[in-house]
Amino acid sequence: MIDFSSPKHRSKFGYLLLAPAVILMALIIIYPILLSVDISLQDVRIARIGGDHAPWTTKNYEWLFHSEEFWNAISVTARMVLIVGGISLIIGLATALLVNQNFKGRALARLFVALPWAVPEVVATVIWAWMLDSSFGVINWMLLKTGLVSQAVQFGSNATAAFMAVCFVMIWKGYPLVSIMLLAGLQSIPAEQYQAAKVDGANVWQRFIYVTLPNLAPVIGVTSVMTTLWVFRDFSIIYVLTQGGPIGATTTLSMLTFEQAFAFFRMGQGAAVGVVTMIICAIISRALVGRFAKSVH
Amino acid sequence: MRHLFKTAAAAAVALSTSLAALPAFAETLTFVSWMKGEPGYGDWWNEVIQKFEASHPDVKVEMTKVSRNEYADTMFTMFAGGTPPDIVHLAAFEYQAFANEGWLADLGPFIEKSGMDLKGWAGQSTCEWKGKTNCIMLLYTAYILAYNEKLLKDAGIASVPTDWNGLIAAAKAATRDTDGDGVTDVYGLGVDSSGGSNMMHDMLHFVLDAGGNWTEDGKPAFNSPGVIEGLARFKQIYKDGLTPKDAKAGDMRQLLIEGRIAMRLDGPWIWNVMKGADPAIRDNLKLAESPLNPPVGGTSNVIGMPSDISDEKKALVWDFIQVAASKEMQQRFATLGSSPAPMPGLDYTAEIKADPNFALFAKANDKASAAGVDRLPKGLELQFNEVTKIVFREVQRMLIDDLSPQEAGANMQAAVEKIAG
Repeated sequence: MIDFSSPKHRSKFGYLLLAPAVILMALIIIYPILLSVDISLQDVRIARIGGDHAPWTTKNYEWLFHSEEFWNAISVTARMVLIVGGISLIIGLATALLVNQNFKGRALARLFVALPWAVPEVVATVIWAWMLDSSFGVINWMLLKTGLVSQAVQFGSNATAAFMAVCFVMIWKGYPLVSIMLLAGLQSIPAEQYQAAKVDGANVWQRFIYVTLPNLAPVIGVTSVMTTLWVFRDFSIIYVLTQGGPIGATTTLSMLTFEQAFAFFRMGQGAAVGVVTMIICAIISRALVGRFAKSVH
Repeated sequence: MRHLFKTAAAAAVALSTSLAALPAFAETLTFVSWMKGEPGYGDWWNEVIQKFEASHPDVKVEMTKVSRNEYADTMFTMFAGGTPPDIVHLAAFEYQAFANEGWLADLGPFIEKSGMDLKGWAGQSTCEWKGKTNCIMLLYTAYILAYNEKLLKDAGIASVPTDWNGLIAAAKAATRDTDGDGVTDVYGLGVDSSGGSNMMHDMLHFVLDAGGNWTEDGKPAFNSPGVIEGLARFKQIYKDGLTPKDAKAGDMRQLLIEGRIAMRLDGPWIWNVMKGADPAIRDNLKLAESPLNPPVGGTSNVIGMPSDISDEKKALVWDFIQVAASKEMQQRFATLGSSPAPMPGLDYTAEIKADPNFALFAKANDKASAAGVDRLPKGLELQFNEVTKIVFREVQRMLIDDLSPQEAGANMQAAVEKIAG
C-alpha cells in the first residue's frame, strides 16, 4: 500500500489525479490526430476504420506539394488571415475603446457591438448571401442607386469581389469577439497608470501608446491567435457564400480539405491537407503567443 | 415503508406487463433516406414499408431521415465506420463510389434466384458496376419546360418555343426592366451558374441539343463540337444577362414562382414547386415539352444492400427490394410520385386522368430514354464531383477572362483527362 501523504509519494498522487483527464485528452484529441496522420499516409479514396490498412506512402504529400491548388489555398488563407485578422483587430480595438468610455446608452452600445457574434454563423451567412446576390441583392441595389457602380457587382463570379465579400462577412462576424476580449483587457488596466501618465504630461495618444497597448499586449496576442485559427478553420462562411470560387479565389486550406475528403472522396489527400494545416496552425500559435508574452515581460 | 414497497412492486409489475404487451420484433432493418416525409415519394416509401412489414410480422423497418445536402457524407461516414444501414438508398450519381469500395452486395444471384425480370427497366444499366448488379433503379426522369405564360405574352411571345432559336428569342424578349429603375427584374430563362451537378445538368440541355455529350464511348469529349456549341450557348445566355447570375437551381425555382423568371428547364418535381406559387402567379405557370432535343433525362436514385451484413439480413433486404420493385408498388410509385415508374409496361390511364401533366412527363421520359440520355457522364461516374468542379472552374474562367468556348472546352478536356487517368 502506497502512502500518498508521505513526501516521497506525494507527486505520484498528483499524477494519479491527473490520469483520467490525460487519458480522456489522449482519446478525444490525440487519437483523431494520429488517425488523420495515418490516413494521410495511405493512398486511399475512402478510409474505413477497422478495415484493411493500405501500405504507408508519401504519395499524398507529393501530390500536395506539387499541386497548384494547395499553393493557391496557402496564398488565399494567408491573405485572408492578414486582412480579416488585421481589420478585425483594428475595429475590435476601436469599438472596445469606445464602449469602455462612460456615456449614456453604453450598455446598449455594448449589446450592438456584440450582436454579430451572437447570431449563428450559418444563419448570418445565408442572410449575407441573399444581400450579396448578384441579381436581386440589396447591396447591389444600393450601390447602383447611389451611383457608386454602373453595373451590378458579380460577387459570385468576380474573383476580387468574392474574396472581399468573404473577408467582409468574416470581419463582421469576427470583430465582436476581439472587441469583447479587448474590453476585458482594458478594464483590467489600473487607473493609477493613466493618472501617473497624466501627471507626467502624457497626452491621449501617448497614454494609448505607452500605457494601453503594452497592457493589452497579452490579450492582443491571445486574440490574434484565436482570430488566426478561426480564419484557418472557418468553413461555413466560405462554403455558403462562394463554395471556394470563383476559380479558387476563396479556396482556403479548410475548403480544400473538405473538397478533397468529402466532395471528391480522396480522403488520403484530404487528410494530408489537414495535417499540414494543423502543423502551420501550431507554428503560428506558438510564434504569436511567444512573441506577445515576451513583449510583456 | 411498507406502502412504499407495495407501490414499487406494483410499478414493477405494471412496467413488465406493459413491456410484454409491446410487439417483440425478431429483427430490425435500418433504412436511411432523404425522402422520408416528402409528399409523394415519402408516402410511397411508407406504403412499401407497411406492405413489407405485413408480410414479415416479426421484422420492423426503422426509417431515418437525413437531408439530401449531407446525405452522401453521412452515408460514407456510416459505411466507413462499419455501421451501414441495412437497406441502402442512394442517388444514382453517388452509388458508384460505394460499389467501387466493395461495400454494396452483388444483387445478381438474388435476381437470378427470384426470377425478377428487369428487361426494359428504365436506367437499370446504370446499376451495373464492374460486371456486377449493385442496385435496382428506382427512378428515371426527363426534363420539361416550365414557363410563365403571362410573362411570355407580355413580351410578345405568342407560342411556347419549340427549338433553340425560339428559346433564345423568347428569353431575350422576356428579359425586362419592368419598373424602369434601370435594374432588370424579370429574366427570360433560369439557368444555374453556381456550380455543382445542377449547373452541369442545365448546361447539358444545350450540349445535347447541339448533338454532343460530356463523354463519348465512356471517354471525355469536352472538346467535341457539340460541347463547344453548348458552352457558346451558355456563355451567350450569361453574358447577355438573360438569366440571374450565380444563382442556384433552387433559387431559380423560387424566382419562377415569384414571377421573376419566364422559363426554366427542369425535372417533373418543378410541378410540386409551382403548386406553392401565389394564386395570381400560379394560374400563369404552365408546363410544356422541352424545346431542346433530346431532353435531358437521367437516373435518379437506387436501392441496394451492404455487402457485409449477415445472409439472414440480406434475405430480408432482398424481400424488401422485391416489394419495392413489385408491379403493384411500381404502379403506386407512379400514382404517388406523379412520375412514370422505371418498370416497363404499366398502365398509366388513371394517372393521366388524375394529372394531365403525367402524359407530358411520360412522353419526355420516353424521348430521353430512347435517346439513351443520362445526366451522369458515362465513364466518369467516380470522378463526377471533380468533373463538375472542373466544368464550373473553366466556365467561370471563360466568363471572367472572356475565353472562347473552344479554349474553355480544351481546358476542360485536359483537366478531366488528367483526373480520369
